[in-house]
This record gives sequence, structure tokens and C-alpha cells, in this order.
Amino acid sequence: MDSIFFYRNLEIVAPKDGHLQGVKIAIQPNISVAGWPTEAGSKALLNFKAIEDATIVQRLRQAGAFVCGSTHMSEFGFGLAGSKAGEALRRQAADVELVLDLMGESRLAALHAAACGFKPSYGLVSQFGLIGLIPSMECCGLLSRNLKNIREILQTIAGPDELDFSIPDEEIPNFSPQEIDPQKTTIGFITEPQNELSNDKEAIFRYSVDELKKAGFSLREMSLPDFSLFSLVHKIVGSVEASSCAGRYDSVRYGPRALGTKNWNDMYLLSRGAAFGLLLKSYLFQGAFFQFENYGAYENACRIRARLLTDMQLLLSQADFLVFPIDNGATSGASELLADTYNQFASTVFANVTGQPALYLPPVSGAAHLGFQLAGPRLSDARLLAVGEYLLNMRNGGK
Amino acid sequence: MEFEAVIGLEIHVELNCTTKMFCDCPNRPGDDPNVNTCPTCLWFPGAMPRFSQEALEKASILCLGLSAELQPLSAFDQKVYYYPDLPKGFQLSQAHFPLACGGGIDITNEDGKTKRLRLHHIHMEEDVAKLVHEMEGRLPISLVDFNRAGSPLVEIVTEPDFRTPYEAMEFLKALRTQVRYVGSSECSMENGTMRVDANISIRPSGTNQMNTKVEVKNMNSIRHVGDAIAHEISRQSACMQAGETIILHTRLWDPDKKLTLPMRTKFEGPCVPDPKVPVIKLSPDWIEKMRSRLPEMPAARAERFVKQHGLTDEEANFLSSDPEVARFFEALIGQGIAPRTAMHWLITQLIPAVKDRQLDLSSSPVTPARFASLLRMLSQDEINANAAREVLVYLFDSDESPKKIVVARGFQQVSDPKALDGLIDKVLTAQPETVAKVRGGQDKAMGFLIGQVMKAAGGKANPKIIRELLVKKLSEIL
Ligand SMILES: [Zn+2]
Repeated sequence: MDSIFFYRNLEIVAPKDGHLQGVKIAIQPNISVAGWPTEAGSKALLNFKAIEDATIVQRLRQAGAFVCGSTHMSEFGFGLAGSKAGEALRRQAADVELVLDLMGESRLAALHAAACGFKPSYGLVSQFGLIGLIPSMECCGLLSRNLKNIREILQTIAGPDELDFSIPDEEIPNFSPQEIDPQKTTIGFITEPQNELSNDKEAIFRYSVDELKKAGFSLREMSLPDFSLFSLVHKIVGSVEASSCAGRYDSVRYGPRALGTKNWNDMYLLSRGAAFGLLLKSYLFQGAFFQFENYGAYENACRIRARLLTDMQLLLSQADFLVFPIDNGATSGASELLADTYNQFASTVFANVTGQPALYLPPVSGAAHLGFQLAGPRLSDARLLAVGEYLLNMRNGGK
Repeated sequence: MEFEAVIGLEIHVELNCTTKMFCDCPNRPGDDPNVNTCPTCLWFPGAMPRFSQEALEKASILCLGLSAELQPLSAFDQKVYYYPDLPKGFQLSQAHFPLACGGGIDITNEDGKTKRLRLHHIHMEEDVAKLVHEMEGRLPISLVDFNRAGSPLVEIVTEPDFRTPYEAMEFLKALRTQVRYVGSSECSMENGTMRVDANISIRPSGTNQMNTKVEVKNMNSIRHVGDAIAHEISRQSACMQAGETIILHTRLWDPDKKLTLPMRTKFEGPCVPDPKVPVIKLSPDWIEKMRSRLPEMPAARAERFVKQHGLTDEEANFLSSDPEVARFFEALIGQGIAPRTAMHWLITQLIPAVKDRQLDLSSSPVTPARFASLLRMLSQDEINANAAREVLVYLFDSDESPKKIVVARGFQQVSDPKALDGLIDKVLTAQPETVAKVRGGQDKAMGFLIGQVMKAAGGKANPKIIRELLVKKLSEIL
């Protein structure tokens, strides 16, 4: 078995015109490329080959990029168990990786690869051809060592798609390079997420944020008392959506079908039972529980989600961007437990719940911290990336 | 104890859109199995629903036609259930925010009184695949046809305003007429474009109790809906008399045995909002645009026919129950034909003739202009009614104008007294006994004499003139 790639593109692609010519992009097998095995990391899709190209793949190829293969991934992209996201960058097998971000996967994978990770605004990039699990939370994340790559790829893939009607009719950010004046840029610094960190991690985060101060940004301390609810809301709403959406993975038209059953009810039960892994199964059970046994909790979670969105907008009316710590959680190994998975992503889920863009910047090499996340209001993607580019530039002794 | 029934209906109407609701596949469920399919309506991984504007327009016009109020905001939900006709595990349906609320239909009850039967709401949903069970052979197999998967439907949910099978049947007839009028569906229970489920409970007459209801499905005609409701009322009444409790469940109507039988129901849970189909926001301007496309509805049209054209309620209702008939009638009026003549000849002659030939009024070669020209000759005494009926036959087989047919085939009516004089004399000479009877005051005998003269004139004489001449001659001889 290939240690990074689930499927390698062996075709020799003739050089093509386009501003992404020569950029090597690794995807995951939940992004459709016609004819490629597209199992989304699940036995439920065993041997399924995509019929059509995802819109993003079609646009990347049109722009001259080389989609070099798909890497091993977690089941339906939920969490990072079994995933090799970031490995292709680490081992220089690709310039950019596309990783679906359901709860922060692209940002945490970037942390492991010591690269930049970006989750765009929800609804900015077409989801046509993406095999997801939590439709209202997930979107295609990008990993690269270099923010120019991410910016140029977004310029190529963002915007309306006649195959994805869920993209709202909004003005698309302009991803050309832009100037940042740190003196005129306020970055909010929320205290609550740090309460969730251990003392030493908190100190490390404060130290890492010093970089922003040194670069001349004005920092402003702010409060979001309900920060801890992001995880809870994601868990309830996400699991209900997943349980409903995963209904189509019935192992009947593709995937292994259980044999020798008496009737079709048994056939569905046994096939689905055999197809999903433990982590996913517990997630789907949890979703089914809220949907069928405790719908009130689901409705409350939806209401709290709306309130958190308003809280976040309020903060972003007082600051241009917000800085958040990132933490790869207390877990390692026991990734089949739902609670552990949510612990692992406690610092990143907020952006999936709100749909706002979030950028992970790795630490300066050699620094003893994990880096941090910057988040902005909806559709501030281009300016957020520009702030990131400004900071990376400073590190390289730039202006 | 006396019982009364409380009945509500849920009616699925398949919209006659050219494409399915969330993809561009043709909306033709009757084609060869699985030809009208794509990754979206087969719900392959990565496929996305793309909501059809045409479905929204047809559904909205239908709602307006039933006086329901279009909602400024509506949205699709995922209705989860597991069954092989729904391989994606959920059906897209508007459970929380329906397209329209309220509305209703007026019917005339058995006692002649008008009753308003109210609608609760109307929502859109996609149809599911069709299962075909092949029971013959050693191993029974079930086949799935996806031609129907994703076909656009609306579901009309009424208030529990119905008390009798008669009201349900009258309501469904009126509903069918109105939906056909707005052109959103063929609305036929026989071919499955209208499907009706009835919720029935009973309670002691005159009380306001809301008792446990039973749902009845599988009726293939409006008649069956009436029969099934009637059966269910007597079955439940017998249960109550016997002191049994009614439990919430679903029953299937068996049209052969004429009874309802309990069925196993699908597992269904609460609906979750679908994050991929955009929320539908209707502006007042858009709603007004749809309203302007609404034709005059049958009740309003019938009322106008009574007022404008002096028809009876029954005649006006008949003419306006089918939009094509109503349009044809108005076209005849527009051509200057008297309303009663137009109504009479349309109902008694043209419609049966069109039906015999298995045509529609709109596709028949007898256009309003040609039919009007025929009726004009009739009212101007150029031809008589016999001739008009015969010319009508020719109109179906030839492109020639009615005038030409009349002239070429000699259908003109003979009204010239000189031409009829000789014939009348001959008949009078040949029928002395009948003449005596007429003189004795027997009116029937007069009719016989007119018939004899008509026969001698080859059916082309003007009966009014014959009568006048006969009366004159018989009085002269006296
Ligand atoms: Zn289709």
C-alpha cells in the first residue's frame, strides 16, 4: 500500500496553459474525479468510481493545475483517524492539498504538516462532486506552505456554479494581492478559548500572539462567554445531519451488500452495520438519537447556533479579525471515541458552526508554540489571506 | 348512540413539469424503466439537488388557484425513512415551512347548501422511485424504476372539515377541475397523477371530541374514496358500539372486496432542514406576477355565465367545469352566436361527436370559427337542424367551409312557399284521414302532416314555413 496516496494519477498530463500550470495538487477520495475510485474512506463506498468531475477539480484542471492523486482519509472525512492529510506536503509530493473541513480537519492537518491551512467561507466554493457528511458545516479546506498558492487556487475555484444552487448570490472576494496596514487593523483576542487550554499552553498561545503585536496590529481583548457551546452545537446538529445524509450509503448500489438475508429490511440493516466503522457508527447513532428520540435538543442546538452566529458577528463589528489558539487535543490513539474526536477539534469547530473563514498559521520555525488561527467575517477570505501573507512576509524579513 | 365522522384529506398531485424537481431529467414516469435518470435523481455520492423554477411556478399557480396564501419564505426538509423506493434514505419535502397556507373550496352539499372546505396548507415534495414486484418465477424479485424519482409533487392537506363521503367526493371533483384549470396537472386518480389519503375518525354526533384517526390509502378513483370512507365510518362505528378502542394506524382500501385492511407502515421520523436546497423567498412582486397568470377560476366563470349569458346554474357549471369547453363556448359567443344556441349545440352535438372520434375540442378540425359559421346558417334559417347535424359530420372529414358544404351538397333549407305548395297539396290529397283529425283539433296529427311534407322535401324544408302553409291551406279548404 502506498504510504500517502490512496490513488495516484499516473496519466502524463500534457503541459497546458493557465495560471496554475505546474502546481501539483493532492486531493482526497471524497472529491470526485471521473473514473477515479472515490470511496471517501468508507467501506460503504467500496469500489465506487466517480461518474463526473467535481466542479473544483474541473476548474483546477482548466487552470492548468495537475491533480496528482488522492490521499488516504478518515471515514467520510470525519476527524483525522486513518488520514494522511498533510503527508503529501510534508514529503513534498504535492504543493497543495485539498482536505474537506468538517470540524477543523484541514487546519489540524496543516498543524501536523507545519504548513498553512485555510477553511474558506461556507458557500464560497462549490460542493458539487464532494462526498460530505455534514452539509451545513463542511467545506473544502486548502493546505500549503505558501499562501499565494491558496489565494490563487481560491481565485480559480471560488464563486457561483450552475451545478451547486446552494451557493448564495453574493459578491465573490477579490483574491488579487492586497495591501495590509497593521495600524488600521484590529485583531480581537478572545479570552474564553484560552480557558480551555492548560496553563502552559495558554502561556504559549499568548507568546505566539506577540507576533501580531510586534507586526504592529492593534490587539483588543474580547469575550465570547459561550465559546464552549460551539462543540456541543456541532456535535448535535452535525450528528443529526450526518445520520440523515448517510442514509444514501446503503451498500446496495455500491459497497458490499450483506448476503443471505431474509428480506430487504435485514439486508439494509446488516449491510449498513458492516459498512461503517465504529467512530462513524457512534456518530450516526448519536444523530439518530437526537432526531428520533430527542428532537427538542436538536431544535435547541439550532437556536443556540443562530445565537452564536450573532455573537460572533457582534465581535467582528468591533474588530477586523479574531485570533484563536489551536490545540491538537489531549488525545492520541483512542481516535475511535466520539468524545475524543470532539476534544481534538475543540479549538477549530467554531468556524464550521458559523461558516466564517479561518486561517491556521504555523509557528515560526524553531518556535516552541503551535501557531494560531485567524478568523474573519463571512466573505473576508481575501483580506484574511492578505493578513496571513503580511505576517509570513514579516517573518522573512519583509517590509 | 349516533356517530358523526371527522374526515381530512391529504392529496398528492403530480405537477406536469417538463423536468424533474431537482435535475434536468424529463418528467415522464411512464417511459421505459430507468431511462429518465441522472446522478442527481439516482442520488449518487457527490450529486447535488438543483431546484427547478418551473416546479416552483406550477406549484405556486396551483396554490393561488385554490385560494391558498403563498408564503414569503418556505424551505425543504429531509423526511427520513428507509424503504427501497427511496435509496437516499430521505425525501425532500417542505415539512416546517410549506409553500402556501390556508385556502379552500366551496362545494354544494346534498341539502343544496354551500359548504366551505378549508385547506390547512400546500407543500412541495419530490416523488420517490417506483417498485415493481415480480412474484412469478421461482424467486420473487423486486425491481426499482427511478423514472418517477424526483418528479415534482405538491401535497394538499385539508382541515378536518369533512363529515360525509359525499363531501369528500364533491371536494375532489372540484379540486380536480380547479387544478386542471390552472394547468398545473392532469390530476387524474386513474393514471396516478392525483393520489388521495383520507384520515377518518368518528365521535358522538354534536360533540367536539377529536378522536384517534385512521388513515386509509390506495383508492384509485374518486368513487373509491367515497366508498372507502363510507366503509371506514361503519367499521369504526361498529368498533365503538362494541366498546373497542380505535388505534392509530393505516389501512389499505381493497376495491374488489370493498373493505379496508390494516397495513404495515413505514418508519418515519421528524424532518431535518435540508442544508443544500436554498430557502425559497417569494417577493410580493413575484407572487403578483403568478397571480396575473391565473385564469378565471370555474366558480367565478360559472357565475359570470349566469349573469352575462342568462344560463341556468347547472348549464353554467357544466360549461365552466372544463376550461376547454368554457373557452370554446366563449369563442362561439364572440362569433355572435346566441348563448342558448351555442350552449345547446356544444353540449348535445359537438362534445359527443368529438368524444366519439377520440379527439379533444382543441385538436378537433371543428374550430370555434367553423362551428359558429354552421350555427349562424342555422339561426338565419339557411339550413334546418337536421341539415346542421349532417353538415357537422362533414366538417370532421373535410377542410371546406360549412357554407361550401351546404351549397355543394344541397343542404339549403327550402323556405320558398311556391316550392312547397305542390308538395303540401300532394300530402293533403294522400292523407284525408289525418286532415280530418287535424280539423277535429288533434295537434299530434298536425305534426304528422309536417313530417310527411318534410319527407317529401328530402328533409330540407323549413318546418316553420310548412306549418304556416298547412294552417293557411286547411283553413282555406274549410
Ligand atoms: Zn435526474
